[in-house]
Amino acid sequence: MHAPRRGRYDFPPAIDPDSRPDLRSPSRFLFWLIRSYGWVVPAMTLAASSWMVPAALTPWLLGRAIDAGVSRGDATATLGWIALLLLVIAVGVIGGILYHTFAVREWLLGIYGTQRRVSRQATRLGHVLNRRVPTGEVLSVSASDSDQFGATVEAFGHVVAAAVSFTIASVLMLTTSPTLGLVVLISTPLLLGASTPVLRPLTRAQEAERTENSSLTSLASDIATGLRILRGIGGERTFARNYERQSQKVRDLGIRLGTWQAVVEAISILLSGLLLVALVYLGSTHMLDGTLTVGELVSFFGYAVFLTTPMQVFFEFAQKWVQGLVAAQKTMSLLAADVPWRTSGRPVPAGASLRDQQSGVIVRPHRMLGIVSADPDASAALADRLGRYLPESDAEQSDDPELSGRARRSARRERLAARAARAAVDAELAAKPWGVTADGVDYAQLDIADLRRRVVVSHTGADLFAGTLQTAVDPWGTHSREQAERAMVVASAEDIYDAMPEGWQGRIDEKGRGLSGGQRQRIVLARALLLDPDTLILVEPTSAVDAHTEARIAGRLAAHRRGRTTVVITASPLLLRQCDDISVLVDGREAARGDHEQLRGNPDYHRVIARGMEESDA
Amino acid sequence: MREHLFSQTSADTWRSTPAPSRLPEGLDVPTGAGRSARLAALARRHRIRAATAREVFADARAPRQGFPVATSGQAAGFLGGLIRGRRVMLAWAVVLNVGAAVAGLVAPFMLGRLIDQVTGGSLDVSGLTGLVMLVAGVIVAQSLLTFAARRSSAVLGYDLLAAAREEVVRIVLRLPLGHVESSGSGDLLTRITSDVSKMANAARWALPNLIVSVVLIGMTLVAMAVNSWLLTLPMLGTALIMWFGGRTYLSRATAGYITESRTYSVINTTTTETVEGARTVEALGLGGLRNAQLDEDTEVSAQAERYTMTLRNMLFAMVDSSFQLPLVGIVLLGAWGHTEGWVTIGQITTAALYVSQLQGPLDRVIAVLDHLQLGVVATARLIGVAQLEDDRTPGEAEPDGVKLTGSGLRFGYRPDLDVLHGVDVDLRPGERLAIVGPSGSGKSTLGRLVAGINRPRSGEVTVGGVDVMDLPLDRLRTEVALVTQEHHVFVGSVRDNVVLARETTASDAEVEQALRAVDAWGWVSKLPGGLDAELGHGKTPLTPAQAQQVALARLIVADPHTLVLDEATSLIDPSSARHLEGSMAALLDGRAVIAIAHRLHTAHDADRIAVVDGGRIVEIGSHHELLELEGQYADLWRTWRD
Repeated sequence: MHAPRRGRYDFPPAIDPDSRPDLRSPSRFLFWLIRSYGWVVPAMTLAASSWMVPAALTPWLLGRAIDAGVSRGDATATLGWIALLLLVIAVGVIGGILYHTFAVREWLLGIYGTQRRVSRQATRLGHVLNRRVPTGEVLSVSASDSDQFGATVEAFGHVVAAAVSFTIASVLMLTTSPTLGLVVLISTPLLLGASTPVLRPLTRAQEAERTENSSLTSLASDIATGLRILRGIGGERTFARNYERQSQKVRDLGIRLGTWQAVVEAISILLSGLLLVALVYLGSTHMLDGTLTVGELVSFFGYAVFLTTPMQVFFEFAQKWVQGLVAAQKTMSLLAADVPWRTSGRPVPAGASLRDQQSGVIVRPHRMLGIVSADPDASAALADRLGRYLPESDAEQSDDPELSGRARRSARRERLAARAARAAVDAELAAKPWGVTADGVDYAQLDIADLRRRVVVSHTGADLFAGTLQTAVDPWGTHSREQAERAMVVASAEDIYDAMPEGWQGRIDEKGRGLSGGQRQRIVLARALLLDPDTLILVEPTSAVDAHTEARIAGRLAAHRRGRTTVVITASPLLLRQCDDISVLVDGREAARGDHEQLRGNPDYHRVIARGMEESDA
Repeated sequence: MREHLFSQTSADTWRSTPAPSRLPEGLDVPTGAGRSARLAALARRHRIRAATAREVFADARAPRQGFPVATSGQAAGFLGGLIRGRRVMLAWAVVLNVGAAVAGLVAPFMLGRLIDQVTGGSLDVSGLTGLVMLVAGVIVAQSLLTFAARRSSAVLGYDLLAAAREEVVRIVLRLPLGHVESSGSGDLLTRITSDVSKMANAARWALPNLIVSVVLIGMTLVAMAVNSWLLTLPMLGTALIMWFGGRTYLSRATAGYITESRTYSVINTTTTETVEGARTVEALGLGGLRNAQLDEDTEVSAQAERYTMTLRNMLFAMVDSSFQLPLVGIVLLGAWGHTEGWVTIGQITTAALYVSQLQGPLDRVIAVLDHLQLGVVATARLIGVAQLEDDRTPGEAEPDGVKLTGSGLRFGYRPDLDVLHGVDVDLRPGERLAIVGPSGSGKSTLGRLVAGINRPRSGEVTVGGVDVMDLPLDRLRTEVALVTQEHHVFVGSVRDNVVLARETTASDAEVEQALRAVDAWGWVSKLPGGLDAELGHGKTPLTPAQAQQVALARLIVADPHTLVLDEATSLIDPSSARHLEGSMAALLDGRAVIAIAHRLHTAHDADRIAVVDGGRIVEIGSHHELLELEGQYADLWRTWRD
């Protein structure tokens, strides 16, 4: 569905998402990232230097202009120094723009590159992904860690430039006046260090505000999600009151945070002001005994202001590099995950007969087989085995924000160990015989890609993707309108088309939100039918559909799939009547086999389809 | 008739060629062209990006679907109203900031005087010490005033924000029932999360900083004029650059940033779908297509980033030069003025220090205005929700009895397509009526009209002789309730989760009784805190069966005489069905029920069955009557049951 790219764009920079990152350690990963950007990071560093160095030169030039020009009334000298000042300012402005330009480029390389890698990793791992890394963590790598790399790499360039400008400023100061220079050089880091004790309560206030604010946001989304109930049944006052209570709590925490921020700002004003006072005092006494000129004193005022910038950059860099390492570790854990199976193997024989050893069920080619089970989990597990899907695993605990730093780190280490253990178990499961054979050959011998093409399982949780009705039914964009229409008719989904003013181009929202369960289920069915694989395994394809529509689908489905291999896992008598064979599972084993007529007197069979008729209803 | 639309228009709406790229034409870079051609292409690309941003912005201001958006004027009015209610807070914030700014301006001024006295030789060491102590004292005062000023600005910002978001939630909780039921929660969810956070940014960061920066810039200019009017002249250049440049930037930036953030939500949506649907992607061989879609998403996003980058570059060029160039001007004018004897070196020093102090506020003021604009746009989206018209017309009439009747009901979600074509239905007190029919036949719509969710296009639904649309919501809820498949558990206590309909009147005993009726009291009484135990996301987790019991207990507390059960099958998950049978029976006991049935068993047990097809009731009667009729229902029943 995607048109070929029209030539080269100037943005984004080219990204090769398939290159292999260095996954040996987080810092190696960060350095690999920097190298992979090619000339962008060196260029950014150079630009940052040409932005910061002029700022280091300005106070000196200003002092020279005053001494050599203004004080003496020497117009030529004044103009000369001013011309130099203008030049330096111009270089600084251009350097600033270039720095910003390269930083954005580097930032985007990090964001888009990570997002593309995450997407590739997700599509490569398929259902194994959720067994390796919890969904929330995958999404946070894509949405926030990708951003962190931009910040870390930018800080890397910034800190180099800060070091250069700091050195230049120091040399200029020390050559002008060693005493004053030393005072500035020693007191600047002390001043920054002096505000660290208040940074801790500030960080705590920030964290408290953030935590409570995110609870407030979840209260709001809770209200929006449950709004049908609140407006339908009632409870508006209760939940408005709950929201207000939390909102006031966040307000108070916000004010506490604002107070600490005010403290930090007041301290920084006090300390830098006192440094200035010290400089004035020392400078004036030097001036009085004639060892310092007016212009030089003015320069020192400028340096006292300038030097805080590189100092802050040093402190920030340490912080951002650590944050970058954390992001790198999470990203590596995702990128290092691998599929458990070999990627090559024998092709799947066409029209194969499938045999599941555990249940004893045989799927005969070109026929429609119904599977009935008293335990819905047993039949879903059978579908997974027939499709070679690993069993679903329990969700992993995510980070508990309540834990302290050390406990959180050790919990994280345990999780990583558990993940590695699970990957090892999966690899073992995938290496040994699978227990399902196609014409006598075990699945473990077969090429997994070929198997996925020939045997398609449409499971109960199958997702719809945002797009149009057309792309929902035909995401591949390779089918004809006639084929799609047939699939829609078989799935009895014409009314979904009718309800959309734009027809095939009607919008389907993310995950089919806005459609009813029955509508979603019928589009999923139409999509699976359009794919038309050799063997199609449908798990509960009509569980959310009304009896009228189900009857219609049952008849059309059997006719549509005639001569193809189809497995339907269901308890609906309407569907089962259309099956060539029905296999009844008891305790996960095939207990009886036959068609609907033959099984009529079978008590196990009757019990399940009676449930299909009765118990699932009110 | 229904199949007609599909077979008639399918050929017209099907797209047989691949969808065009989402990137507009003209963004490619010419290769091998001359410099002027390349520059022209660069300008063209910028124009294309600007046009895209304007389109996205226009769409954000007047969306084609979803909830309406208010105008910027209305949004500013809303925020202005909140500020007017906080005049005292605002006054304090401004006064304290002026104080802090003035204190900050004293030190450079005195340094200038000091330099003049030192160079003029009119100062000895003891005089110097006195002056320096004075400056130190002023700095201490400045730091104290700054603390008070920043704190008061923060109080104003956070207080305003709390009031604004609480008002927004109250607006959301007043949304007309019909709109809540028909529109998905997606748009509302985005607004109540991401737009509130943009509004929050504006209120708690931008607003206080605007006050700080504007006061600082204003006071510094005054101080410069006091120091030397001659040396203030270069600031005219700054003012001109900032005025015109700032306007140019601000008029474009909002659209640029909105476009940018929208491209990131597209990327997030694509990634979330791919990751959550990883199994589906694998099963259907969609991997390559998902990757290609993400790649295109990032390319579209890169163009939006490229646009705002250019805007920022222009802004940086402007801000950097606007505060650095006056420095040159000051030295130049100072040198001239000094030879003429108009200014002293001290005044030049003071002016230079003032200019360097202006960098921060000048940098900030544009960024602040930027965020304020974004905040106003977000606020416009938030209060736009309030513009939905309620189609209910609550009156004074009291229902006489509990008989529910619908007559001549016609209704359509689209003006050109009716779903119901004149339906008459009446429900006897205590009766069970099942509605069956194929999907799209209008049976759910009928349920919604009967429950008073939507107003029929023509015809009316009455309860006890009063139109349901004329009943106040609080009253309607005790008459008829629509039970959908949703069984959302709210964040809140067990009591909060159950009292809903009678939140102001129900006692704890009644809540307990309702929980007992649905067999839930056993596990609720064991929770720490009992009725006060916190439920919902991140709190005590409930099993699906327990969540369903809570949903049923809500209805018992509401105690309506008529229930409309929509897709009741889905309300009861098969694995917990047996367990919930008793709870459900307790709820239905003694009430009239309209069940929109998927399974024929429900229909079989009902007193009467209505078969809906093509927006009309085609058969109605008891199970046996319908079997004798040998119509649709009888056919279906026989296939089902054989």
